[in-house]
Amino acid sequence: MGKPMKERPTFKHLTVMACLMLLSVWVFAAGMTGSFDLQSQAYAQTGGNVPGKSLGNQSDSDFWRKLRRGQPFNLSGTPGGVQVLIQSPGEEWRSLRNGPLSYWGGLMILVSLAFVVVFFLVHGRIKMTGGRTGRAVPRFSQPERWIHWFIASLFILLAITGLFVMFGRYVILPIIGQQAWSAFASASLQAHNLLGPLFIVALIIMLGVYLKDNIWQKGDLTWVLQGGFFSKGHPPSWKYNLGEKFWYWLLFFAGLAISGSGLLLDFPWLAERVQQLQLAHLIHGGSAVILIAVSLVHIYLGTIGVEGALEGMTQGYVDEKWAKEHHGWWAEEAMAEGEDVVEGAVQTGQPDNMPAE
Amino acid sequence: MTFLEITEGPLWVLASSVFVLGALWRIVGIIRFGRKPDISIPRASALMGAIKGQFLHFVPHGGFSFRTLYHLVAGYMFHLGLFGLLIYAAPHVLFLKENVVGFDWVTMPRWGFILTAEIAFAGLILLWIRRISDPVMIKISDADDHIASWLTFLAMLTGCLALEESHDSLRALHMLVVEIWLMYFPFSRLMHAVTFMFSRGYTGAFFGRRGVVP
Repeated sequence: MGKPMKERPTFKHLTVMACLMLLSVWVFAAGMTGSFDLQSQAYAQTGGNVPGKSLGNQSDSDFWRKLRRGQPFNLSGTPGGVQVLIQSPGEEWRSLRNGPLSYWGGLMILVSLAFVVVFFLVHGRIKMTGGRTGRAVPRFSQPERWIHWFIASLFILLAITGLFVMFGRYVILPIIGQQAWSAFASASLQAHNLLGPLFIVALIIMLGVYLKDNIWQKGDLTWVLQGGFFSKGHPPSWKYNLGEKFWYWLLFFAGLAISGSGLLLDFPWLAERVQQLQLAHLIHGGSAVILIAVSLVHIYLGTIGVEGALEGMTQGYVDEKWAKEHHGWWAEEAMAEGEDVVEGAVQTGQPDNMPAE
Repeated sequence: MTFLEITEGPLWVLASSVFVLGALWRIVGIIRFGRKPDISIPRASALMGAIKGQFLHFVPHGGFSFRTLYHLVAGYMFHLGLFGLLIYAAPHVLFLKENVVGFDWVTMPRWGFILTAEIAFAGLILLWIRRISDPVMIKISDADDHIASWLTFLAMLTGCLALEESHDSLRALHMLVVEIWLMYFPFSRLMHAVTFMFSRGYTGAFFGRRGVVP
């Protein structure tokens, strides 16, 4: 005997199956709406503010338009704070941060670095004409040096961690991969956030300590008109030339902008709206790249760029020759006022013309 | 075995053993030095002098208060900050409970932890600046001082990097630096954290016996 023939579904079978399917759909829908006539709103939506049928009383496009424009909603699971589903200005902030800010900021730092390298290759180290005298003139007091190095230490730590946060995704992530970058970025951000408030305190003290000699003085323009850093000779200046004063006032304004915006980013609950944080972030990043770019020039001139400059900040004294060459008016004033010139001070080394014993 | 498991397991046991045994070895060595018999007639109690010496040196001598103000303030900021972080930071208490003592105690709130870390960092940086900028400190500082300063700074910095407590690698890095610090401790000037009591006691007893306030 062969296999029994498979029974073909009859119209009756098909009708029963269709009825069962319809019944199950109706049971499911009734369960969802909580009503047998299926006229009530979906149960999950009755507690919210979405009225009407599945799309509410509005069209899809209206609904999404409201979302995009930051329409507040009564969101479940939020403590009643910001009730905005899509922060559209956040997209503009993200575009600015990852676009022009990163691009031009990075370029500015690279240009500054290139400028320093080219300047060094062209001019070399600016040396004291005729060598040292061996007599030292006091330039920076101990408190001035302490606060300078304190803020310099913090600045370097904050600049490095800040640069990682800003450019790491372009430079470091492709090398170390996403997982390692995640830890790296977290570490940078934590260090940046922790050390930031110390920088603010130090900056305010430093601005106060250095204010007196950084106010505009008659003759400051002379230094610029005679060529400044690019002049063949050494234009006279007071304790700080106009370039140094520019650095001070840049630190004043950009530093305070960084500090204010940084505080807001460190303590975000101080902000009333997310847009304030986004603006603070742009100000913070923008001011920081400017400061970092200019600081490269400052560090270069203060260390390898100009012979005898660093010892003023490490030991407090500069050679008399250096003082007269780079800050002639200040040197005359300092020596006339009786600030001790230390004969043969060890701080600045021996005079170059010292006879052999 | 992951890197974290190594640093929290065998390496931790090794480092803490070197720390404890090394410190004991140094202390026993100091005690075994003994002191020369003092045959002078005592004018006052040497013991009281030793006790007074412990506490009087917590504040500078009157004649030097201005000159020592900087490192007095920086020193207290760093040492109290570090002590607070070591003993009362929640992650440290949890680690000590699970790996050393078996019980816990009250911890600082998060904001207290951050504030204490800020104070400790500021103090350490200020002390390091003094070491590299003060003419006398430059002369008397050697490699050991700089290594100790930098190791302490790195231990604190890696701890700060791991503040988010969400990456094992950062926690392991902090553990590794702390373990290097622990192993370096007994054989360096970091031992001053223990030996200061001996030196103060010795000086206090010496002068106390002669009736002089140490």
